[in-house]
Amino acid sequence: MPWSGVAMTAGYPPGSQESASDESGDVLQLPMARRATDIALDELEIVYAFIYARVGNRADAEDLTQQVAMKAIPRLREGAPASAIRGYLFATARSVLGGFWSTRLGLSEVELHEDLALAVPPAPPSEGRVDTVQRILAELSDNYRRVLELRFLHGYSLKEVAAEMHSTVGAVKVMQLRALRSAAKVKME
Amino acid sequence: MNKPENRVDKIVSDLLHGRRLRLRGGDAEEKAAITAAARLVAARQGPQRMNPAFRRRLKQALESAPTAPWMTRRAALVAGFGLAAGAVAGGLLGRQMEPAAVATRVAGGDPINPIPGKWVDVAAISDLVEGQGKQVNAGGVGAFLFRRGDSVTGVSSICSHLPCELWWNGRQGLLDCPCHPASFTPEGMSTDNTYPLPALNTVHVRVTPAGRVEVLGTD
Repeated sequence: MPWSGVAMTAGYPPGSQESASDESGDVLQLPMARRATDIALDELEIVYAFIYARVGNRADAEDLTQQVAMKAIPRLREGAPASAIRGYLFATARSVLGGFWSTRLGLSEVELHEDLALAVPPAPPSEGRVDTVQRILAELSDNYRRVLELRFLHGYSLKEVAAEMHSTVGAVKVMQLRALRSAAKVKME
Repeated sequence: MNKPENRVDKIVSDLLHGRRLRLRGGDAEEKAAITAAARLVAARQGPQRMNPAFRRRLKQALESAPTAPWMTRRAALVAGFGLAAGAVAGGLLGRQMEPAAVATRVAGGDPINPIPGKWVDVAAISDLVEGQGKQVNAGGVGAFLFRRGDSVTGVSSICSHLPCELWWNGRQGLLDCPCHPASFTPEGMSTDNTYPLPALNTVHVRVTPAGRVEVLGTD
């Protein structure tokens, strides 16, 4: 049965694959495999948010999260404590993300900028992501901030941004690129 | 359209519409802008949770992983995850319906001999950098090539355990499996001494007098 190792670390004796006994008055536990899978899934929720925050789209985030999960299966069975599992999952996520950017951009991982070396978050992502955006934007010059605000926060098209800024589409595209390059230099963590 | 501002705007537009990142090799020049765009799009949306349908699929995959009817390595090796078929030497014939866990008991390292095979031009030898793996596809045969001087060797790009496509970890000079913690040297040998996996299958490679690298693959 899968995940017995993880379940074991939750305080159950090795080899016990059944639901915990309720004879002693303990709360009836879910079957171990299911319980362990749920623990892993909860950790993978955090991994998913972590990955999504870096790739910005659901399809890639799902693919990468699944890769992390499949890669982690043997380790999850080894009976590591939950904290170690989280550490391992995030280490795996960083490796998978490195591979993702490396493959997509045609670069060796060595060539990838250190901005892709991602720290392990101590806790689930906070709710203050929009504040993070504002903090990044606050570091930029007025024009760069404005173009990114309109494009990313308000969802304007290039044409709408150009009209708003009394500029041309071509000029806005160039400004957007330069603004993103500047934004990349701002610490996002 | 190839101006960097156009490429980056295309990527931004895709992200804003919830589409996948579709990048090209040339986009590496703008990796900082692209990764910043991805992060801004994500930050604007706030922390994301898995879609319930995806969570269910993931749960199912986790629970069924040990006994799931994986595609066989043999199928992946020559069929390129479902492309044209061939044959692998070394006793794998006839085992194609067995689960991977059984198939992998067969010693690895045997060359892939697709039937019918075809020499496929995959690169110029000058495209290969010593010490770096280059991933190529010869029809249905996927491989990583390694150059040493004027000679080139190749190993299958499919893990010898699960039918997963390996990727080149340039930092460590190893081929890593995305599906589980397994790595292989450029010679195809497993790096894990405590749980060694079979060696990767090799591929037939030749270099033409014109300096082209060919791999024995399929149409």
